[in-house]
Amino acid sequence: MRPTVTDRARRGRFPIIGFLATLALTVPAGAAAQGDMAHGDTLSGGWRMPPMNPAMPVLPGLGGAVPPVAAFLPGVGVDLSSLPEAQPSSVVEMADGDTLDVTISLVRREILGRDYAMYGYNGQYPGPLIRADRGSTFVVRVTNEIELPSTVHWHGVRIDNRFDGVPGVTQDPIGTGESFTYEVRVPDAGMFWYHPHTREDVQQDLGLYGNLLVSSPDPGYFGPAHREEVMVLDDILMDDQGMIPWGLEAPTHALMGRFGTVMLVNGLTDYRLEVRRGEVVRFYLTNVANTRTFNLRFPGARMKIVASDMGKFEREEWVGSVPIAPAERYVVDVRFDRAGETTILNSIQAVDHFRGEFYPQVDTLGTVSVSEELAETMVSRGFETLRENADVQADINGFRKHFDRPPDHELEATLRVRNLPLSIVRTMEIDTLYVPPMEWNDAMPMMNWLSTGTQVTWILRDRATGDENGDIDWTFDVGDVVKIRIFNNPDAFHPMHHPIHVHGQRYLVLERDGVPNPNLVWKDTAVVPVGSTVDILVEMSNPGEWMMHCHIAEHLHAGMMLSFEVRGEAN
Amino acid sequence: MVAASAAALFAAVLGLEGPVPPVRAAEASVACGVTGPPEYYSFPLVSTKRVPGSGQATGLGELTFAPSPFGFALSPEGNYRYRVSLTVDRLAPPATGVYVVWVTTPSLDRIELAGAFDDRHAMDVEVDFNKFLVVITLEDAYDPEAAVWSGPIVLRGMSRSGMMHTMAGHGPFEQENCAAYGY
Repeated sequence: MRPTVTDRARRGRFPIIGFLATLALTVPAGAAAQGDMAHGDTLSGGWRMPPMNPAMPVLPGLGGAVPPVAAFLPGVGVDLSSLPEAQPSSVVEMADGDTLDVTISLVRREILGRDYAMYGYNGQYPGPLIRADRGSTFVVRVTNEIELPSTVHWHGVRIDNRFDGVPGVTQDPIGTGESFTYEVRVPDAGMFWYHPHTREDVQQDLGLYGNLLVSSPDPGYFGPAHREEVMVLDDILMDDQGMIPWGLEAPTHALMGRFGTVMLVNGLTDYRLEVRRGEVVRFYLTNVANTRTFNLRFPGARMKIVASDMGKFEREEWVGSVPIAPAERYVVDVRFDRAGETTILNSIQAVDHFRGEFYPQVDTLGTVSVSEELAETMVSRGFETLRENADVQADINGFRKHFDRPPDHELEATLRVRNLPLSIVRTMEIDTLYVPPMEWNDAMPMMNWLSTGTQVTWILRDRATGDENGDIDWTFDVGDVVKIRIFNNPDAFHPMHHPIHVHGQRYLVLERDGVPNPNLVWKDTAVVPVGSTVDILVEMSNPGEWMMHCHIAEHLHAGMMLSFEVRGEAN
Repeated sequence: MVAASAAALFAAVLGLEGPVPPVRAAEASVACGVTGPPEYYSFPLVSTKRVPGSGQATGLGELTFAPSPFGFALSPEGNYRYRVSLTVDRLAPPATGVYVVWVTTPSLDRIELAGAFDDRHAMDVEVDFNKFLVVITLEDAYDPEAAVWSGPIVLRGMSRSGMMHTMAGHGPFEQENCAAYGY
């Protein structure tokens, strides 16, 4: 099946408008959560307020307030026991020319002892781990059986534009009962992932994500390791009565994104790994959370950073933790030298805005059990070497002539709000006496929950023209190397960091706040902290109409996206 | 007019009541053309006027992240790791002794010796406190083993994060009893 887009003419110079038209959920009558949550704390419209620190007073005038959108939960009216129990992710090896059938469906998943209706690719959480060789092309036939329209975006893959999975831009949404066939060409080695690009604040949060691991033909591409493990980091917002509903017409949590209260690794709350003493484990990390940035660490184990989104770093480095923002991937080698149990932690300095304080917050993500048995020592010793990657440096050298020239485009990240309750506005104004570079926790759960995509517009503004988001109209040619400067304006109403994702191309982060990046790696997603100015260099190698957006799901659906065209033929 | 209609559709799709006028280029923030330490996180170094030759002195602390492969730098515990560039103008050389730079938490429970100020009155300091003070003192001599200053404070400054304080008793929480929260 060839992809089609109805009413192409509607897209005109602003193809992203077609994407915007798909944002509101279109669901059958009765899918909203009203009446489904008959318990004491249910507020009007089926809403229940997310958990918040009981020591923090509720904002005056907001008691009983709910977001100005309808509440949505999946599978309303469906007998949970009739749903298939979700299964852990399986590995699917795809050779060149192979075809994989993927069904998007409702599944039954148990989280902390309670069953929920959630979504799955082929009934799995995460979706199947697809493994392929660099340079191959395989086919994925996707059938949608959930109540929402969906697509599959192949995040980070320099894929043929027709199969990028952006509704209204590269394809029509896949309606309930419909199918779409993707041809996935994988020109780069690395850990990629796939997820919906229709209301991913809902669908991705409910389990629609999976990894695509593309191997290099070079057996010495990475250094030695005893084994490889995939860790998909996520969180989900729940209280003791279950999942907090999502917004139907527009996302809730538009200011800061929807932070979860329960941490998940590979969809599990009790991720465990058993290793031998001295074993070197290569972890492929992917953050699929809506908004949470993790600071992952393995206390007592030594760790080095090896690669990121689209390949290896110029050189390996020892690191004490891995800060990983939504949609980013990192590859780390970790050696476990001490027998016993060690926990995998998310260690952050959270902010208590009411008290005006930082405080340490530690979440246990999983457990590693290290046996007394010694792992094969040659590999363990090889871990001591930090590799210089001459192949990466040679590739990047071809772009160095562009490093010092002025930017071709400058973007400013900011936001506008309207019709927010006055007490929220007043609190935010005081709060901006200090805004941290990164938001690690939902420090204002009620205000955040009440802000929706109908009241908040997150903005990428072209400094030269003043155009914003969908009105930005950039055109490039295949072979162009484009320098884009992104400034995250700290004087906005509520500034926040943004993980900026560029579809279909690869880029280097050249410098931050005037400081050159000493260790480059090809990226498709990178963070712009509050107040910072980040220069990226994009290699426009892949023709088509592409998106660039913030990968905090609620920011994306509050408008923070633009599209650009790359003309010409693929090399 | 294409742009205008696109904006209208954009607003309509997002459920806005009408198109929100975009800020044009001339009205947009002027900070975008500059690269360097974020002005937002810079903080002044203020003279105590207690030391001869320092009454007219002014200084600045500018923050960038310490080198990191992740784009921003964190300690394993999640503290920001900053490189603070300190510069001081109009500070006379000391008649005797040496200017010494210290970094401390606001509660002074942790004090770190950063080093002696050089003749340029400039220094880069790495800090992993989320809130911190920079203190420049006049010491008889530089003692790399010193745990705390003994001379007079010449200049001091506070990180922008130090401005974050309790909302109890302020704004919408002005009716809250500060004492109930320990303030």
